[in-house]
Amino acid sequence: MRESQKSSIREAWILCLVLGMIMINFPFIHIFSSAQLIFGVPKLVLYFFIGWPTSIIVIWYFVRHIGKEPQDSSVVTEDKSEP
Amino acid sequence: MIAAKSILFMSVISTKTVLLISLGYFILLFLVACYAEKCRKMDNCLLKNSHVYSLSLAVYCTSWTFYGSVGKAATSGLEFLPIYLGPTLIAFTWWFLLRKMLLISRQQNITSIADFLSSRYDRSTTLGAIVTLFAVFGITPYIALQLKAISQTLSILTMPVTAFSSGAGNLFPVSIDIAFLVALLLAIFGMLFGARSLDSSEKHEGLVVAVAFESIVKLISFLAVGIFVTYGLFDGFIDIFQRFLVQFPERQNLLLLGTDQTPYTKWFTLIVLSMMAVMFLPRQFHIMITENTDEEHIKSAMWKFPAYLFLINLFVLPIALGGLILNGGDTTHADYFVLTLPMSAGHPWLALLVFIGGISASAGMVMVSSVTTATMILNHLVMPVILKLNLKAQNLSRVLINIKRLGILGVIFIGYIYFKAIGDSYALVNMGLISFAAVTQFAPAVIGGLFWKRANRKAAIAGISFGFVLWFYTLLVPSFVRSGWLNSDILNNGPYGISLLKPLELFGLHGFDIYTHSLFWSMLFNLAAYLILSFFAKQTESEALQAETFVDIYLDQPLQAENLKRISKAPTIMEFVELMSKFIGEKTAQDAIAEYLNQQEISAKGELSDHDIPQLKRFTERTLAGHVGAAPARIILDNYLSARGSEMEDVFDIFGTVTIDHASSREQLSVLYDAAQIVASEGDFQKTLDGILELLAQQFKFDLCVIRFLEPESMTLMVKSLVGTSSEHFGQFERNPNMDTYIGQAFMTSTTTVVNDTDNIDKPASAQHIKRDGITCLAHTPIVFEGETIGILSAFSKTAKGIFTKEFIALFENLAGQVGIAWRNDQQLQKLLQGREQEREMQIAKDIQKGLLPTNLPTSGNIAIAGLCVPAHQVGGDYYDFIERDNSCYDLIIADVSGHNIGSALIMAETRTFIHARIQDIKQPAEMLQELNGYFLKDLDRSDLFVTMFYLQYNPQNHRIIYGNAGHNTPLVWKKRKQQIEILDTEGLIFGIKKDISFEQRATDLEPGDVLLLYTDGIIEAENKDNVFFGIERLSKVLEESDDLDPPELIERIMTQGRIFTGRRHFIDDVTLVAMKVLK
Repeated sequence: MRESQKSSIREAWILCLVLGMIMINFPFIHIFSSAQLIFGVPKLVLYFFIGWPTSIIVIWYFVRHIGKEPQDSSVVTEDKSEP
Repeated sequence: MIAAKSILFMSVISTKTVLLISLGYFILLFLVACYAEKCRKMDNCLLKNSHVYSLSLAVYCTSWTFYGSVGKAATSGLEFLPIYLGPTLIAFTWWFLLRKMLLISRQQNITSIADFLSSRYDRSTTLGAIVTLFAVFGITPYIALQLKAISQTLSILTMPVTAFSSGAGNLFPVSIDIAFLVALLLAIFGMLFGARSLDSSEKHEGLVVAVAFESIVKLISFLAVGIFVTYGLFDGFIDIFQRFLVQFPERQNLLLLGTDQTPYTKWFTLIVLSMMAVMFLPRQFHIMITENTDEEHIKSAMWKFPAYLFLINLFVLPIALGGLILNGGDTTHADYFVLTLPMSAGHPWLALLVFIGGISASAGMVMVSSVTTATMILNHLVMPVILKLNLKAQNLSRVLINIKRLGILGVIFIGYIYFKAIGDSYALVNMGLISFAAVTQFAPAVIGGLFWKRANRKAAIAGISFGFVLWFYTLLVPSFVRSGWLNSDILNNGPYGISLLKPLELFGLHGFDIYTHSLFWSMLFNLAAYLILSFFAKQTESEALQAETFVDIYLDQPLQAENLKRISKAPTIMEFVELMSKFIGEKTAQDAIAEYLNQQEISAKGELSDHDIPQLKRFTERTLAGHVGAAPARIILDNYLSARGSEMEDVFDIFGTVTIDHASSREQLSVLYDAAQIVASEGDFQKTLDGILELLAQQFKFDLCVIRFLEPESMTLMVKSLVGTSSEHFGQFERNPNMDTYIGQAFMTSTTTVVNDTDNIDKPASAQHIKRDGITCLAHTPIVFEGETIGILSAFSKTAKGIFTKEFIALFENLAGQVGIAWRNDQQLQKLLQGREQEREMQIAKDIQKGLLPTNLPTSGNIAIAGLCVPAHQVGGDYYDFIERDNSCYDLIIADVSGHNIGSALIMAETRTFIHARIQDIKQPAEMLQELNGYFLKDLDRSDLFVTMFYLQYNPQNHRIIYGNAGHNTPLVWKKRKQQIEILDTEGLIFGIKKDISFEQRATDLEPGDVLLLYTDGIIEAENKDNVFFGIERLSKVLEESDDLDPPELIERIMTQGRIFTGRRHFIDDVTLVAMKVLK
C-alpha cells in the first residue's frame, strides 16, 4: 500500500479517537446531563447506550471497508525476511 | 423493611454443593485447556480463531468489575462506565498502535511489557527491572482482590446476608480456607498451562482458550442475572428507572455527571486510566500481543471486544437501581447485588451461576497475571542476577523453567498473603484503579518509543521512575493512611508539617479527586523527564539502531548498520548452538538453528561468511530473548563474545588510513575486501553500486566516480551510479560509444583506458570536455561479464596526475569485476523475481552446449589452434570441433545450423554425436559429409532446418590438408611465403536437401607460417548501421595484417574489428571462428 494511503487510514482512526474523546467528555456531555426522561430513560443513560453501540458499529464498518484493502503485503514479506 | 424481608426469605445453598460445583467448574477449565493443547498438537491451533482472541481480551473484566460495577453504580452512579468506555475509544487506535506493537514484538521475540520497554530502550536491564518491580507492586495486591472476591461471594452464597456483614475472613462455615484452595488450583493451572516451556514468546493455547471460555461464562451469567432482575423482578428498563426516581428523587445524581460525586475531571481521568490500562496492563499485553497468532485478529477484536464490554454493562444500571429499590436504598452490600437479588427472590441456582461467573472473572485474571508477572520476574529480576553470578552449569534451562513455575506459585501466594493480612483495607479495595494508574506510567515510554526515534533509555528510566515515585506518594500513601497503617498527620499537614507536600494536595493543588490529582502530578513529572532527557541525552549507536527498528518497523530494513560489521574471532554455528543450549535446552536450540539454517541455505557444516555471522548472532540473541528476555539475551551474548575475545568491528574503520601515496598491497586487498563485503551484503543493487563508488572516491580522493551500464537497445551507456562532483559531460550518458572517445575505446576494445596526464591526449573528441572540466587524469575500465562488456567504471581526478600505476589499474579492474558480480547478482535476482523458469532452462542448455565445444586444444607442437563460438542468444546452431585421429591427423570441423534456437542447438548436438561416434570408421572428409547427409536427410526435412559444414583433415607429417564442403562459407588460408590469401573452395550441397550427393574432396599443402581460418556467416554478414556487411574482404584484410599473431590473438582481433565495424557489442547472428597456424 502506498505510504499516503496508509497514513490517511491512520488519520481517519485518530480523527475517530479525538471525536470520541470529545463526545464523552465535558463540555459536550454536559448537554445530556439532566434528569429528564426520554422514552422513560434518563437522557444521559440513553445517550451512552445509543452512542456506545454506534461507535462500535463505526469501528466495525471501518474495519470492514478500510481493512479490506491489501494491507501491506510488505509487512508480511518483512516478517519472512526476519528469522 | 423490604430489605429485611428479603433477607429472611433468602435461600441458601449448602457449602458442600457450592464447593463441589466450583471444583467441577475448575475440572472443566482443566479439560478445556487440555483440549486446546491437544488441538495444538494436532495442528489445529484454536488460537487461529479470531473469536478466541477477542474473547480472551475480556480478561480485562475481573471480579472487581464483575461485582464492583454494580456496587459502583449503586453508590456513585455512572462512574462505573469510563472503565469500559476508555477501552472502546482506544480500540480506534489498535490498527496502527496495537498492530505496530505486535509486529515489533513478533520480530524481536518480546515476551512482556517489561521486555518491550527494555528491548526498545537499548535492551536495558535497569529499565526491565524497574518496570517489573512496578508491575509486581501494582499487580500482586490486585490478585489478592480476586481471591477476596471468591471467598466473600462463597460466604454470601452459603450464609444468610445478616451473618456476614461483620466481616469476611472468619466466617467460613468449614475449616477449609477456600481462598487457599482456589489459589493453589490457579497456581497449578498457571504452572501447567502457562509455563510449559521456557519460551515465553511461544503460545499458551491451554491458558488462552480457558480464559476465552471463562469470558463466555462470565458474560452469560451476568446477562442471565441482568435479564432476571430487569424482566423478572421488574417490568423492564423503563419501569426500573421510573420507580427509582419516584422512590429516591434525592438520588437522581446517580444518573448525572458533573456532580460532586463524579465531577467531569474525575470522569476524564477514569477514561484516560482505563485507556492506558487496557493497553499496558501486563496481562492485557500478554493476551493482546504475546498470544496473538495473526495480526488480522486485531481487526475483529477492534469491535468484538468493545461489543463484549457493552453487553456485560448493559444490565449494570438496572441491577444496581433494582437492588437499591428492593433493599430500600441500602448500599452496604451493593457490590454483591448480583448474588443477593436472585437469592432473595428464591433463585439460588441463578446465584450459583453468577458465583461461577465471578470465579471465572477472578480466575482468568489470576492465571494470566501470575504467568506474565512470573515471566517478568524471571527475565528481568532473576536472570540478571544469574548472569552476574556467572554460573558454570552446562544446562540452565531446567533450572530456569522451574524458577518460572516457582514464580507463578510465588506471585499467587503473595496475593493470598496480602488477602489474609489486609483483606478489608481501603488500600486493597481500591487496588483496581491504583493498578490502572500504575501502568499508565508506562504510556509515554511505550508510545514515544513506537513513534519517536530520539526517545532514549535515560529518558524512559527517568520518566517511569518519576512516575513511580509520584504514583506511590499520591495514591498509595493516602490509601495506606486510610487503611490505618500510617499516621493521618501526613495527609492533613504534610510530612514534617510541610503543607506543600501533602500527598493529596501536592504543591498546593487542591480541589481534585485523588485519581485526577495523582494522574496529573505523576504524568507531569513522567512526561517532563521523558521529553527533556530525550531531547538532551545522546543515544548510543546500538540504542539508535534499536530505536529505528521499532519506529520504522513498516519500512524495509534490509541494510542494517550491523550488516557492515563483522565479528573478529567469530564463533562457529556449533558454538552458538552450545551457548543457546545452556539456557534453553539442547533440543530447542537444535530445532531453532535447524529452522534458521533452512531459511538461510547455509550448510550445517558451518561455512559462514563474515556477513552471515552477525546475522546468526542476531538470530541467537532473538531466540534467547524469547526465553529469557531481551536484556539478558544481550548480556549473555556480549559476555560470551567478550570472553572469546570476539568483537564487533566496524568494517570501514580499518580502511580509514588508506591513501594512494601509501598504498600497499595489504591495503589494496582491504579495499577489495570491503568492496566484496558491500557486494555480499544483499542490499539493493543501487546501494551496492553507490557503496563501491563511495569507497573508491573516499579512499583514493577522486573527484568523480561513475558507473555506466549499456542499454543495448539504444546502444547508450547510461549512468547508473555517480559519486562526487558531477560535471556537464562526465556525469552524462554516452550515446553510441565509438573509438573517438576514451570511454568508447575502453568499451569497444574491452580494455582499460588510462590517461595519466590530460596534457597529453590524442583524442580531440574528448579533449574539449576534459579541458573544460579541469580533469587532470582519468581511467575507464570495462565492466565485463562472461566476456561481454556490460558497462564502464570511470574515475576522474582534478588534482592528481600519474596516479594510475600498474598496481592501481589492477585494483581498478578488480573493482570493475566486483561491479560485474554485483550486476550479475542483481540480474539473477531480477530473473528469480520474474520467475523466468524458461530462461534458466535456456541457461542450462547454453551450459550444456558450451560443454559440447572442444576444451582440449591439440597438444602437438607443430600447430597452434584456437576456436571461439559466440551464440547470438542463449543457445545457437554454430559448431566447431578439433578431433585428433589415431594416425595423428587432425580433423577440423565447422558447421552452421540455420536459426539460433533450441532446435538448432539440438541438431548441432546431434551432428557432434554422429561425428564423434563414427570418426574412427570414416577416414575421409568427403565420406564423412556423405554419411552425414544421409543421416540428416530425414531429420532436417521434418524440422525445416538445414546445415552447412566444412570438414577438413590436416596431416602434420606432410602439412597436407584434405577437405570437403557442404555448402559452408569457404575458409581462408594465409600463405606466408606467397604473402597472399587463398580460398579453400570445393563443390558440395548443404545437408538435408537431396539424397546421395557426392561431395568433392580436394587437397592442398600448407607450409610453416600459414594460417587457416574457418568461420561462419555470423562474422562476414555482420552489418553496420548503413547495412553494409563486414564481408570477406575485411576479414581477409584482418587476416593479412595479423601475420605475426597467434590464433587466439587473431580471433580476438577479428572480434574486436567486427564490433568496431558494427558499433555493437552483440552480433546478430552466432559467430564462430577457428584459426590454425602451422608452426613448423
